[in-house]
Amino acid sequence: MKRLVQGFAAVFIAAFVLMFITHRLNEAEGYGGGKTVTVYNWGDYIDPALIREFEKETGWKVIYQTFDSNEAMMAKIAQGGATFDVAVPSDYAISKMIEEKLLLPLDHRKLPNLRYIEPRFLNLPFDPHNRYSVPYFWGTVGIVYNREMFGGKRMTSWNDLWDPSLRNQILLVDGAREVMGMALNSLGYSLNDTNKAHLQEAKRKLDRLMPNVKAIVGDEIKLLLANEEAAVGVVWSGDAAEIIAENDKLDYVVPKEGSNLWFDNMVIPKTAKNIEGAHAFINFMLDPKHAAQNAEYVGYSTPNRAALRYLPKDIAGDRRFYPDLDSAGHLEVYENLGKHMLAYYNELFLEFKMQQK
Amino acid sequence: MKRTHWWGRVYLLAVFAVMYTPIVYLMYYSFNSGGTMHDFQSFTFKWYRDVLSDDRLLIIVLNTIVIALLSAAVATILGVIGALAIYYVKRQRTKNALLALNNVLIVSPDVIIGASFLLLFTIAGIKLGFTSVLLSHIAFSVPIVVLMVLPKLEEMSPTLIDAARDLGAGPWQVLSGVVLPFLAPSIWAGFFMALTYSLDDFAVTFFVTGNGFSTLSVEIYSRARQGISLSINALSTLLFLFTMLLVIGYYVLSQKGGRMYGIGGRK
Repeated sequence: MKRLVQGFAAVFIAAFVLMFITHRLNEAEGYGGGKTVTVYNWGDYIDPALIREFEKETGWKVIYQTFDSNEAMMAKIAQGGATFDVAVPSDYAISKMIEEKLLLPLDHRKLPNLRYIEPRFLNLPFDPHNRYSVPYFWGTVGIVYNREMFGGKRMTSWNDLWDPSLRNQILLVDGAREVMGMALNSLGYSLNDTNKAHLQEAKRKLDRLMPNVKAIVGDEIKLLLANEEAAVGVVWSGDAAEIIAENDKLDYVVPKEGSNLWFDNMVIPKTAKNIEGAHAFINFMLDPKHAAQNAEYVGYSTPNRAALRYLPKDIAGDRRFYPDLDSAGHLEVYENLGKHMLAYYNELFLEFKMQQK
Repeated sequence: MKRTHWWGRVYLLAVFAVMYTPIVYLMYYSFNSGGTMHDFQSFTFKWYRDVLSDDRLLIIVLNTIVIALLSAAVATILGVIGALAIYYVKRQRTKNALLALNNVLIVSPDVIIGASFLLLFTIAGIKLGFTSVLLSHIAFSVPIVVLMVLPKLEEMSPTLIDAARDLGAGPWQVLSGVVLPFLAPSIWAGFFMALTYSLDDFAVTFFVTGNGFSTLSVEIYSRARQGISLSINALSTLLFLFTMLLVIGYYVLSQKGGRMYGIGGRK
């Protein structure tokens, strides 16, 4: 008994000593005392050097947390148990969060750097007049392909994916809107189409793609393509930039029929405690120099017009990732199609995924 | 007479190879200056420097250890009390029912436990963070301790207690002088089981962390999602070596000073 008591006392003492050390470390790092901004962002979606610079410049300490899907992020915010001062949802998630009243309106007077944003990226359908959100990155959905494995040909169209020579060579990203959108675009329809006949037609066309599909995957698509496990992948442009940087035999194309134009925006969720700090952080990220540095690190396209000057020529001039938006009028933003239509998209996509090869 | 067939050894080697190759592979590339998990370029300690200079990571490691120690200790105390309570239940049916309830918690998926804790904490208004993680870890560790301690209790001869009573021991003396010392090995075993469960728990913790509080497994997961940084390999290697040290320490203790800690030794 005595030994047991001694043993457990030792365990408790060790735990409390460690707790004390942690507490001191936290204070030394500045995480105590409430002078913090909690940023909730996608993994690897910011240059860590910028966080340090922000801390030095403003005196706020940043607690950086990450999520891996819009749905997970919305669940945590809706649940309300945790403080998040800034979050970075994608476009369709923003309209949903506005509907569910999960966001606080922005104070534009505290965001003077908003003027650097390319005007055509403002006032978009998912958030009219940018009452709740400010663009962070944007991009497209397109095809990454291995020129050598694709016989040196160039891809230009979604319909190239149906080429019989690509048997078991295509990786698709696991997203209902992305895959259905690709099929709709290949048929010449809008990727926001709500005509059920068109959607059925798209689904039938996808079924014919199945022999070419090797797998439908998540984030690992980057690694698989870079390692040449497959010749072709349908991915978001930012992932494409990363993959191409890893393996220069690969190329990225936004198909000529059209594609999705997506945005990840900074918002202040209703869980925010430090509204002041959140605005300071957003404004800091909107600064052209910081936006340029961030874009260079992350590899996605910045919506900051003034930042383009600070980017190396080979990045800002890369038409694959900074397409000329006037000629690229076929790029569409996902609209919120409503619960029913979305469920229908998901259902068709699920049927496509579940079928036997 | 001892005779081992050569295929027995081959089988053993094959099993160990399957289990350890991925870990060795991961450790090998933690020294790769190339920054990827293929094409080993040259030897470097860069990733280890990255890990060790990361203060936030250090805080998370300490958090993880604090949670593990506290939750294991509290869960052990609760678990021993629970085991005693189940042991002293007279009716066999009630006893079996209680045991079944205990076992359900062990076999039910972590995800469900985590999600239900999240709901509970939300309704109870407990802020996600240190407290919520600690409470949930205690909760899922208690059944494990019960399961470790109860068989030892059943094994205990009732005459032992009768003898103590006969010699004039009161209830407290019986408990502290006879029952608990007899249980000590299984109590420590339960403690260590709870410790390891807490150290490597991911699913439950994932649900109930928040407000900047994080444990190592959750942190490794979110870093791994970001893709290819070998500092994760370095961190995992360090963690693996640390666990090896613990195992070796445990082994040495149970061989030599086992009696001091009541681990192993006596049977």
